[in-house]
Amino acid sequence: MERLIGVDELQSGERRSVFVDDVPALVIRLADAWHVIEDVCTHDGQPLTTGELSGCSIVCPRHNARFDLQTGKALCMPATQSIRVFRVEVRDGAVWAGP
Amino acid sequence: MTVAVADHSRAGYSAAMFEEFLAARVEPQWMTQARRQAFSVYQQLVQQELDPEEFRRLDLRTFNASRFRPAVTAPDAGGIATLLSGRTEFGGAIGHVDGYVTSSRVSPEIAAQGVLFGGLQELLQSHRELLEPYFMKRAVRSDADRFAAWHAAFWTSGTLLYVPRNVEVQLPLHSLIAHSHDGAADFSHTLIILEDGARATLLEETASAGSDIAGLHVGCVELIVGRNACLRYVQLQNWNQKTWHLAHQAGCVDANATLQWTVVGLGSRTAHIHQDINLDGRGSTAEVNGVTFASDRQKISYYTQQHHRQQGTHSDLLYREVLRDESRVIWRGMIKVDAAAQQTDGYQRSDALMLSEDARCDSIPGLEIEADDVRCTHGATTGRVDRDQILYCMSRGISRGEAMHMIVEGFFQQIYDRIPIEVVRETLSRTVQAKLGIETVAADHLPGAEEDEY
Repeated sequence: MERLIGVDELQSGERRSVFVDDVPALVIRLADAWHVIEDVCTHDGQPLTTGELSGCSIVCPRHNARFDLQTGKALCMPATQSIRVFRVEVRDGAVWAGP
Repeated sequence: MTVAVADHSRAGYSAAMFEEFLAARVEPQWMTQARRQAFSVYQQLVQQELDPEEFRRLDLRTFNASRFRPAVTAPDAGGIATLLSGRTEFGGAIGHVDGYVTSSRVSPEIAAQGVLFGGLQELLQSHRELLEPYFMKRAVRSDADRFAAWHAAFWTSGTLLYVPRNVEVQLPLHSLIAHSHDGAADFSHTLIILEDGARATLLEETASAGSDIAGLHVGCVELIVGRNACLRYVQLQNWNQKTWHLAHQAGCVDANATLQWTVVGLGSRTAHIHQDINLDGRGSTAEVNGVTFASDRQKISYYTQQHHRQQGTHSDLLYREVLRDESRVIWRGMIKVDAAAQQTDGYQRSDALMLSEDARCDSIPGLEIEADDVRCTHGATTGRVDRDQILYCMSRGISRGEAMHMIVEGFFQQIYDRIPIEVVRETLSRTVQAKLGIETVAADHLPGAEEDEY
């Protein structure tokens, strides 16, 4: 597990670009829930970084593919494959993630 | 919403590092001045976004230039296993390790023809008037993009081949670019100049001394082919899977000349090659072959441009890619035809064979034509291995692995048929087997063939 950020560094609805296991990732806070996803859309292979958050999902900023933040599942076309979600732990006032 | 902004400090080198690099070098004022100009351009370009047409699909976010430094001392020669060395007779060979020339030889017969073959740094100083007009001025300009400028500021060693007018170099020449230390950055340069009517073949390969050495290669290849000349150039990229390979390569082909250029992508963690083929003279011809086999989590990207600038020019590009595991290959190709380039015949094609559900290939051919009397064709295909073919082979007593090898070998065969150099075909075939896990490429050699020490 890698330490990503302190829990007080993000407010609900905010995100931060990080690397997990040398993979570009996004850590997202929704209320007290933390999600860490691979920051690559499985449709076009480009970043989800600036994608809009919609409930517990993120929308690709280019073609509007939508992915569930908890499971990584592709929720609508044009994406058909899930994105990778990392295992998350909150301890010692920080967010940790790993494969 | 808060998001991280682009961190330009990860993308390149600082001014302090450049001064440190210059201080360690002993070279003439004009060369240092050229480096300073290039670094100034580089500082501007590194602050700008990369061209989205070329780099949109290549994820460079994990790239951290500060992990790599040009070596400050010459490495010990030897211990680098190569795929080509010793497998055929070469008329000359040069080795670069961590940016230093570790060996160089050329046969007396070839040297007597007036051919220059050896370390670029040394020859550029001793033959400045002859070579300087070409170096990063004709094929790859130092301000072409961020990586070209970076290379122009920090270039270290390199291979130079100069063949005078109407001279034919019968035997192929060999060049090795290698890494031997973890964290080494290599900025080697290849400059080939064929005067009118000259003929030559250069086989170049890259290699790492071990599988755990992380490295960076920011390279440049310039191929200048004079009128009626013929150049065959092969670059076999075989770094380990911890190496970044970022290269700007260009060929300029004059009237009625022929360039046969083969690019092989086997190794590296992430590779991006910008390849320009400039058909500058009437009736010039370029045949470009690409062989790529990506595995594990490798990312290999190509941006090719066949630029027809004169009448009656001919280009033929064929790339074939095999992908397994979670690898990714990107090919963005363009045929560009100027208004003056009537009766042009341009062809480009990329075919990908997917061996895994998790691999991904993006092939994007393109045409940009300003002339109205041309024939330009392009296409791209992507497909999986046909299970029925595997089943058929197995029903005839062939193992699954061998069946897969036959199918992959057959897929590459059309490219092999276009490569007239036997040692390259054999080496590719053996390396493909190794990538498939059928056989490990052994450092065995042909009996009687001369081996060069790197």
